[in-house]
Parts: sequence; C-alpha cells; structure tokens
Amino acid sequence: MKGLVIRILRQMGNDRRTLALMIVAPILILSLLYLLLGEGSYIPRIAVSENFPAALMTELQKQDVEVTILPNDGNTVTGTDTNTIHDALLKEKSTDAVVSAASDGIHIRMLEAGNSKTASVTNALKNAAASVSPSSSMSLSYVYGRGDSTAFNSLGFVLLGVLSFFFVFIISGISFVRERETGTLERLMATPIRRISVVGGYTFGFGILSAVQSVLMVLYSRYVLGMEFEGSVWLAILIMVLLAFTAVSIGAFVSIFANNEFQVMQFIPLVVVPQMFFSGLITIDTLPYGLGNLSYFMPIYYGCAGLEKVLIKGFGIEEVWKDICMLLVFIFVFFVLNVLALKKYRKL
Amino acid sequence: MNIEISHVSKFFAKKEVLKDISLQAREGEILCLLGPSGAGKTTLIRLVTGGLRPDSGEIRIGGQKFPNRDTIKKIGFMPQDDAVYSDLSGLDNLLFFGRLFGLSGKELRRSTEDALHWVDLEKDSTKLVSRYSGGMKKRLSLAITLLHNPSILLLDEPTVGIDPVLRKSIWDRFENLRLSGKTIVVSTHVMDEAVRCQRAALLYEGCLIENDTTENLLLKTRSGSLEELFFTAHKRGEGL
Repeated sequence: MKGLVIRILRQMGNDRRTLALMIVAPILILSLLYLLLGEGSYIPRIAVSENFPAALMTELQKQDVEVTILPNDGNTVTGTDTNTIHDALLKEKSTDAVVSAASDGIHIRMLEAGNSKTASVTNALKNAAASVSPSSSMSLSYVYGRGDSTAFNSLGFVLLGVLSFFFVFIISGISFVRERETGTLERLMATPIRRISVVGGYTFGFGILSAVQSVLMVLYSRYVLGMEFEGSVWLAILIMVLLAFTAVSIGAFVSIFANNEFQVMQFIPLVVVPQMFFSGLITIDTLPYGLGNLSYFMPIYYGCAGLEKVLIKGFGIEEVWKDICMLLVFIFVFFVLNVLALKKYRKL
Repeated sequence: MNIEISHVSKFFAKKEVLKDISLQAREGEILCLLGPSGAGKTTLIRLVTGGLRPDSGEIRIGGQKFPNRDTIKKIGFMPQDDAVYSDLSGLDNLLFFGRLFGLSGKELRRSTEDALHWVDLEKDSTKLVSRYSGGMKKRLSLAITLLHNPSILLLDEPTVGIDPVLRKSIWDRFENLRLSGKTIVVSTHVMDEAVRCQRAALLYEGCLIENDTTENLLLKTRSGSLEELFFTAHKRGEGL
C-alpha cells in the first residue's frame, strides 16, 4: 500500500498541470467568487413620480440611492400610457425602478424578478418609510450569522465543500480509469498485492493530496479573503478532508462504469451537480415533494451541513459528529464496493 | 516449475473462447502459443496469471492448484499493451512494481539496476516514460516482468512493434533465461519466432489444434512452415 501511495504522489509531482488544477483552480474560483459575491457597492437608481409624498422623498434621498423625478404628463393618473412610458424607461435601463404613489399605497415596478437589484431598491424604500414613521420600523436579527454579512461569507461553506469534492472526484475517477485503460491495473493485479491495499493506496494517496488542497483552501479563504469563521478552522479542515476521501472512493467507483476519461466526465452532471443543490444553496426544508430527504444519500450534504455548523454557527465537535460519522459511512461503503469491484481482475 | 493446464474451458458471455484445453509448459523450455488474433492466446495467458478463473478444468503450477498468492510471486507477466505508467520515470516504474513484489532497500536497488541493464535502459532510467519510444516502453515492460527474478515468465506478444535487431537480441535473452531453468510461455502470431521455441501450441478459434515439440510439428508440414497447419485447420473447419 505504501508503494502505491508513493507512486500516486510521484505521478502528481510529475504532472504539473493536474497538480496546478488541484491547487490553483480552487483558489482562483474562491477569489473570483469573493469578488463577485463580496461587498456590493452598487447604488440603485430609482425614478419616482411627481406625486410622490414629499416627506418620503426627503428620506429616500438620504439613502444610498440615486433618485430622479419623473415629470407627470398630467393626462391620466393610472392610464396605460404612463405605464408604457415607465416600462420603456426600465427597458432602456435608464433606471432600475419606477416608484409611484397611489391611493392604495406605493407601487414599485422593476425590469426583472429575482434580481439582486430588487433587494437594494426595496431596502432603500423600507428604510425611508421607517424614517418617516419610526413606529413602523422593522429590524431583523439572526441567531446565526449577521444580516450584513456578504453572500460570499454566508455561502462560503458551500464553496469549500463542493470544490473539495469536485476536483478530487474528477482526478481520482480519471486516474483509476486510466489505470484500467493502459492495462496497468491488470498488471497490478498480477502481483501479490491485496485488493484491499489497492483501494487503500488509492484512497490514501489522493487523500493526502486532497488534505493539502483543503488546508490551502481553508487558510486562503480565512486569511487572504477574510471569510468569517465562527468555529474551529481545524474542524472545518477535518470535514473537508473526509469529504474529499468520499470523493476519491466515489470517483474510483464511478470509473468502473466508464471506459475512458470522457465517460468519467459524463458522470459530473449525474453525480456532482444534483448534490450541489443539496449543499446548502437551496434551503432544504422548503423543498417540495419530500425531495429534501434525498439529501440523506448525498455526501456533499453532510460535508456542507457540517461546514455550515462549524463556520457559520460556530458549533464544535459535539454538534457535527453525526455529519462526520455519515461521511465515514460513505467512505466505508464505497471502499468495500471498490474492493469487490476489483474481483473482476483477480478473484483472490 | 511446470505449468499444467488440464481440460480448461472459458466462456465470455456464453461464447466459449477456450474449449477444453490441456497443455503443459516445462521448466527449461519455451512454450510458444501460436494463433491468429482472437484465437484465445491472451485469455489462456490471463488464466495463468490468475486474472481470470477457468469455468471448468484446473491449472496447477509447481504441483499446486492455482491461483494462490505464493505462486503469483513467482510469476513474471508481460501484458500485450505496455502497461507502464507514462507519468513516471522508467526507474520509478520499476521501483513501484518491485515494492509490490515485496522488494525493498538494497535488494530493490540491485534488482532495478540489473533489470535496467538487462534491457539496456540505464541511460534513460530517469526520463519520464511519456518521452520513451515504443521500443523503449516495450523494453521497460520486459524489465518490470523480470524484476523479481520470477521462475515463470508469461509473455503476451512481447516483440510486437519491435524492430528486427532488437527482436533478435530479446530472443537471445529469452534463450539465456530458458537455459537458467525458467519456464517461459510466449504468445505470438509471428510464425518465425516459433522455431526458437522448444514446444509450440497452436490455437485456432479457442481450440488447441496442435501441441508438440516444434521439431515434430515442422515434420508434419510439407512446406516447412507452421502456417500450413492453420490452413489445414481452416479447411477442416469449412468442411464441417
């Protein structure tokens, strides 16, 4: 088994590009997402109609927004013409929202639903309204995390979990399939090595690499990108390494059903992408048809749930041991399956 | 160590690829498996490496029922495709397989040096295999096979794609190994190579059509070429 571990590390050392993929690519992606999801400095542009209440207007102008006043064409108040003009303004992107006051309240019209601009516009209006009548002010606070933490901070655990699974999955799957393709596996199995040592060697060889990768990713996001960690850095690294170990085993297992490298890649939409949905990107409690239960079969779910508990909620081992145990179960099950699969090459 | 194959059959998905094969390979002899591609040569060799199990019949090596882990240690197997790690150096390939056979320390170093010398790759041992030529890869593959000084050599088409000069020198080395008391099984579809073997077994569509000393087999032919025996078998097959 030691020989196999040494060999895998040597091969990686000789294959600079793959090594770079494992080390540089996650750091690149983390940095990119840090810039994309980090502190937003966007100032929304709001166009208000002339009949807008003056008090609200004054407060709105105090917010971080750019306010323009639309001339009232006077023909109609709620006629289709006005709406068409407003929509045209939105479509040509000269404003992000058109706000008008009517007897039944304030109307906000925007270009698209589910846009990050929506939140900044409504926040500005909500704050302005609160300043006008302080009694209607609402303040939101959380048990875990803070309202003003950036998306990068609150989703960082998803990135760490998914990235550590993804790269190791690809590399172990491809390297195992290559071993089959070139006939070295057959040759390996014609030596006295035990099947369990082959799988063990693979798991540990790639495990060591993924451990290095995990440590780098955690340290980089913590100390370079300044991601806020509530709990222990080491516990987070432990969870990531275990998740990477499951990725090695699943990668090797999947390669049984692949005849070449390209077919390994075809497993990404099947194995990795569905798991990403259960990584914490979508709140699992809200999923329809009991689909949330699927998460119990997904290692990324346990990895990310564990990371979330440690990084966001600041929990210790007493709260995450269940997730850790489940990852160990996955590692064990796929380890056994891989040992059995090698019977194809030698029954002994 | 002798290899005794008795009444071995092997099926792949209901197709019988080896039909009731009985065959012996003796110590100090080179047994040549001859036959067109698809005849079952590789399957037969893989049965003797332990990679496959016969569906019926049995294989004994040195009198012991095979496969068992002790006997596997005494076998040197050279697969048809090079089966070397191209992202390792030649030396690292040898060290890896040496460790798998339980070699370590001085013994490992000495064996790798000997093997590299044997195939004349000492100069290029630290180069990555991806930069080797086809012939060099073949020689490295052969070196891996001989690394642990096995008593039995199973060589699946060892000289395919090798130029005539190198081919001759490799066969001279097989001859030396034979004289030192090894049991050698070589598969080939090059009839000329058969004359360098003591025995030849002719496989045709999974059947053993001839199995005798090369000398006797040559006497059976009119042209003095073993190919004739396949033509006869082919005609017989058409006649049925």
